[in-house]
Order: sequence, then structure tokens, then C-alpha cells
Amino acid sequence: MSGIATVMKKEFARFFGDKRMVLSTLLSAVLIYVVYSFMGTAMQDMFAPDVDHTPIVYAVNLEAPIEQRLQSAGLSVRQIGENEVDSVKERISQRDVDVVAVFPIGFVELATAFNPQTVGGLPPNVEVFFNSTDPNSSNTFMRVVGLLDEYEAYLSNRFSKFDINRIDADMPVSPDLATEADISATIISSLMPMLLMMFLFTGCMALAPESIAGEKERGTLATLLVTPLGRSELAAGKILSLAVLSFLSGLVTTVATILALPNLMGGGADGAIVDVGIYSTTDYIWLGVVILSTILLSVAVISIISAFAKSVKEANMAISPLMVIVMVVGVTGMFGGIAENPMLYLIPFYSSVQSMSGILALDYYTTNVAISSISNIVYACIGGIALTKMFNSEKVMFSK
Amino acid sequence: MSVILKTENLEKTFRLTAKQQKLQNTKAKTLKAVDNLSFEAYKGEIFGLLGPNGAGKTTTLRILATLIKADGGDAIIDGSSVKTDPAAVRSKIGFLTSELKLEDFFTPNYLFDFFAKLHNIPPDVSAKRKEELFAKFGVDKFAEVKVSNLSTGMKQKSSLVISIVHDPNIIIFDEPTNGLDVLTAKVVTDFLMELKEQGKTIIVSTHIFSLVEKLCDRAGVIINGKMTACDTLENLTKEKSLEDLFFDLYAETVGEAV
Ligand SMILES: Nc1ncnc2c1ncn2[C@@H]1O[C@H](COP(=O)(O)OP(=O)(O)OP(=O)(O)O)[C@@H](O)[C@H]1O
Ligand SMILES: [Mg+2]
Repeated sequence: MSGIATVMKKEFARFFGDKRMVLSTLLSAVLIYVVYSFMGTAMQDMFAPDVDHTPIVYAVNLEAPIEQRLQSAGLSVRQIGENEVDSVKERISQRDVDVVAVFPIGFVELATAFNPQTVGGLPPNVEVFFNSTDPNSSNTFMRVVGLLDEYEAYLSNRFSKFDINRIDADMPVSPDLATEADISATIISSLMPMLLMMFLFTGCMALAPESIAGEKERGTLATLLVTPLGRSELAAGKILSLAVLSFLSGLVTTVATILALPNLMGGGADGAIVDVGIYSTTDYIWLGVVILSTILLSVAVISIISAFAKSVKEANMAISPLMVIVMVVGVTGMFGGIAENPMLYLIPFYSSVQSMSGILALDYYTTNVAISSISNIVYACIGGIALTKMFNSEKVMFSK
Repeated sequence: MSVILKTENLEKTFRLTAKQQKLQNTKAKTLKAVDNLSFEAYKGEIFGLLGPNGAGKTTTLRILATLIKADGGDAIIDGSSVKTDPAAVRSKIGFLTSELKLEDFFTPNYLFDFFAKLHNIPPDVSAKRKEELFAKFGVDKFAEVKVSNLSTGMKQKSSLVISIVHDPNIIIFDEPTNGLDVLTAKVVTDFLMELKEQGKTIIVSTHIFSLVEKLCDRAGVIINGKMTACDTLENLTKEKSLEDLFFDLYAETVGEAV
């Protein structure tokens, strides 16, 4: 057992004793911060509406209560007839006009009378057209939708939803206004799992091939194999120390990302969009458990591939397809809902992304996250046994 | 004299890859590197394995050091079998070959301590031993220099010192003087003599006849993985020089005069 500690200590001495390794880790974190902040600022400039632009809403069948709401929000309103809609739409594409809203005749009455409990059929429908490539148009559109939302809330949830076309027919505007925590959680949960997955995996990739394939290539691993150090101690010592170091490097890059996220999202200095305070201690503990178990799994897998490889170069080449797969799996966390079937939480890497998405979206089953963490650890242990077998195999260790 | 190391009918066959077949210019899919090899080494002697390139010396020593496994036969080292108890063997032997490298990033000082810990040597014992060995080989002068910045001779000395960190009774040495200048080579051979005087058993492999003549009490001549002669140096060189004996044995085994 003491062999594990000796091996780990040596691995730490190797990493922290090497100024270049430590510096490159810190530097990549700084780089992430600068690039993300820069991207955020650039995007804001690109998509920001003109300051002196007066937003104008073209509307069909607009009734007084709605018109008042629009005007008091600082929007100019221009009533048009139904036959003019097509030509206005054309002008929207040309970026001459911001938006056009088409209300059904008698909208206010319909909306007020609508009650999903008693009345069958669909709620009244408002069509709002805009041009997403025009910042002025997007901005005005957001404001109109916001005001309609407010109006809906004012009608005290008597109907379930407006269908506002052109946003996304499948994504109706929810009757209750989203809380700030929800918005924060949505942004963080859609982006962060992918980024976390990337950081964890690249963190492992930067260390394990060098530590295992590199030592094998240079003949220093064989020197350890003629000592009484057990092969299983060597495997465990390598995996655990690499996991700790990967965790630290992942932590540094993640902190840089979280710091840069407000800038990236355009929240600017106030940073209101990303509020990491919305999570409870339990959420953070589960997140930590998922991350640590994922790192263990990644290190085990990368170590096994590295042990098979004849050189660091070969190891990196063999790992890159896996890296692509992990990235693609990471992207799945950005779309669609969070998987609920517990069986899916047995799939390595996918389960990690789903768990992280779930935790960050404040929408997860503890059992699923636990299944994911435990299965990761079990897989990592199996990987450790496999690595022990490989250290014992002369074919693997001394193949030429 | 008691037998401390005994190999019985050791066999090792390598499967050759297509690339290796081409390199060695052979159609055979396998290569018998060690062929029914048996020999004994007595306590307190220097035993030499003499053979040409590719004879199977390194392969034999790697089996003894438990780095690779024999397909057949066994070797008993100080009562432990390489087959059934490799871990015990590892703690009893010191193995040194040019293929076993020290990590470039660390200093001899750090590595000595590291390997002492892997061998479970108490810190005070290892500190004393380090001082002695470092002084003897002049490692103390570059104890804090990273291995990557050491010369070949300095590296060899560091490796030597570290391979015997646990004061083993049996030392297995593959090509002890390869790549060393005469001065460093002499330091090494003198040390082997000294170890012998301390009662240690030493197995060396080499293709240098003069080294065997100078160093060994007994020697075995390996050709194509087979032991062709094994005796005291006195008996081996009774009729003719070691070199002439080797040529005769080679002609006998390979079936053609050189
Ligand atoms: N892993 C391996 N795979 C295939 N063939 C091998 C392997 N290791 C050694 N051999 C072959 O086994 C034979 C014996 O090799 P070995 O290294 O034991 O010779 P040696 O006596 O040490 O020679 P040298 O004096 O050149 O060091 C050689 O033909 C070598 O090519
Ligand atoms: Mg050799």
C-alpha cells in the first residue's frame, strides 16, 4: 500500500517541480479568460442595437389596452391593415422595419375570456415577425414578446399560453415569467457541461500519455518494474495522482471560464446573468462527485490507451478520436431535455454530461446522478485492474 | 560452495512480427531466443554469460529479473522461483541494464530516496547507504544535477548505485562496461570485485572475452540460446584460449566455420 503513496508523491514532484508544466496550465487558464471575454465583447458590439434608434412596431388589429402597453414602454406603434402585412415583412427582411405583430380580431376579449379549464381549443395566437440578423429588429422583438408576457401574467394565468410563431412553435412562451435563477441555470447548464467535459478530458490528456507512454518509451517504467513495487500499486498510484493533477488543472480552467462567463454572455461588469449563488451546497457536492468520478474514468481510459502505445505521439494519436467522441457527447448536453431513464446513466461520459446538465439546470434525480458517479468509479476500477494486467504483460511493456 | 541461483531448462520463444521477420531476414514466425538453458551460480562468485550478439544473454537475464516470463523451465534465486514468486525475487536481486533508465527530470539524490522507499528501506539506513555509495562512485559531485544533464558515465554510475540501493545479495548486470570509457569501466569492474569480496553473487553478461577472463570465476558460453559450455574459467581455458574455444563451439553449434 505504501507503494501507492510513494508513486503519487513522485508524480506530484514531477508536476510541481516543473515550472513549465505548472506555467502552461496557468497560462491556458489566462488564455481562456482573455479569449472568452474578448469573444463576448466582440459579440456584444456586433449584436447591440443602435442607441439612437427608435423602435417601431407595425401591428394588425391592435387594440387600445395593448397599444398603451407598447407605447408606455417607449415603442412607437403604427397600425396597418391585414393586406399590408406581406409588404412589411419584405421590409423587415430588408432591415427597414423592426417587427410586425399580427393580432387576431378581438384579441383582448378572446384572451380575457380564455380559460383552459373550461374552454376547449387553442388560446388566441399572436404572430410576431422579426429579422434575427438585424440587432434593432431582434431587440424590438424581445421587448414586444416581453410585454405580451407581462400582459399574459396580468390576465392572471387564465389561459395557458400564447403561441408566438417565428420564435419556435415547440417552445411556447411560458405563462410564468422565468425567475432570475432559472435564466442563470439555463445559460450555465447548456454551456458548462460541454466546457467542463472538455477541460476535464484535455486536462487528463495533457498528463497521462506523458506519464505512462512517455515513461514506457524512455525505459523508466521498466526500472520501476524490477523493484518490489506491486503492479497494482503502480497502476493505482499513477491513476490517482494523474486524477488529482487533472482535477487541479480542470479546476483552474473552470474558474477562469466562470470568471469570463459574464463577459461572454454580454452581462458586462454587472455580471447579473451568471449567478453561481443559485446552487445549494448539495448541488455543489453532487457536481464535485460527478466531476471527480468522471476524471477517474477519463484517466483510467487514457492510461490504458497510453500503456498500449509505443510512444507519447502514438498515444496522443490513439486518444484523439476518443476526444472527439467525448466532445460530441458534451455537445448533446446543450440540446434537448435531461435524460430520465436510469439505464442511460450507465453509459460512460454520456451519463456525466447528463448529470452535470441536470445539476446545473437544477433539474436532476439524485439516484441518476449517483448511478452515474458509481458506474464511473466502477469502470475506473476495472480500468485500474486492466492497467495492472498490462504492467504485468511483457507484450505490452516490452513490445518493439 | 552452495548454489544460490539455478536455472532449469529455461525456454523463451518470441513471436516475430512481419517487420522483425524482414529485419532478421527470416521466414520463421517464431524465434527461440533461449533454448533449454540450465546453469548454476554459486554463492560469492562472479558468473559470466558469454555470447555473441543475439545469443540470448539479455533475454536470459530479463527472465531472471522477472521482467519477462519464460515459456518453459524455471529459475530459483535464493530460494524463490521467478515463476511463482517474482515479487520475492525482485527484493533479493539488483538488476542493471542499459535499457532501464532513470527519469531525466529528477536528480540522483531524489531518485536514490525514491527507490529506497520502493524497497521499503528505513530512511536512516538508506541515508547512510546513500552517503557511502555516492562518495565511492563520486555521485556526490553531481547528486543535485538532473539526470538529463549527466554524461553517459555519470548516468551509468547513478544507475549502478540506485540498482543496489537495497543491498541485494545477488546482482545481475547486463553488459556492465558497455559505453563506458576505460576509467569508468575500471571503477565498475573494481566495484564488482569488491562486492564479490563482501560475499555477494554477481551474474554478468558480455561479449567481451577479456572481461570474462579478468572478472569471472565461472562462465557459460551461450550460442543461439543454448548453453554450449559451462565451467570454471580455469577448466574452460585449460587447453586453449577462451577466444579459440568460442570459435570451436560456434562452429560446432552453427555448423560452419567462421
Ligand atoms: N521482444 C522481442 N521480440 C522478438 N524477438 C526478440 C525480442 N527480444 C529479443 N528478441 C530476439 O531474441 C534474440 C536474443 O536477443 P538478446 O537480446 O537476448 O541477445 P543478446 O545475447 O543480449 O545480444 P546482444 O549482445 O546483442 O545484446 C535476438 O535474436 C533478438 O532479436
Ligand atoms: Mg544484450
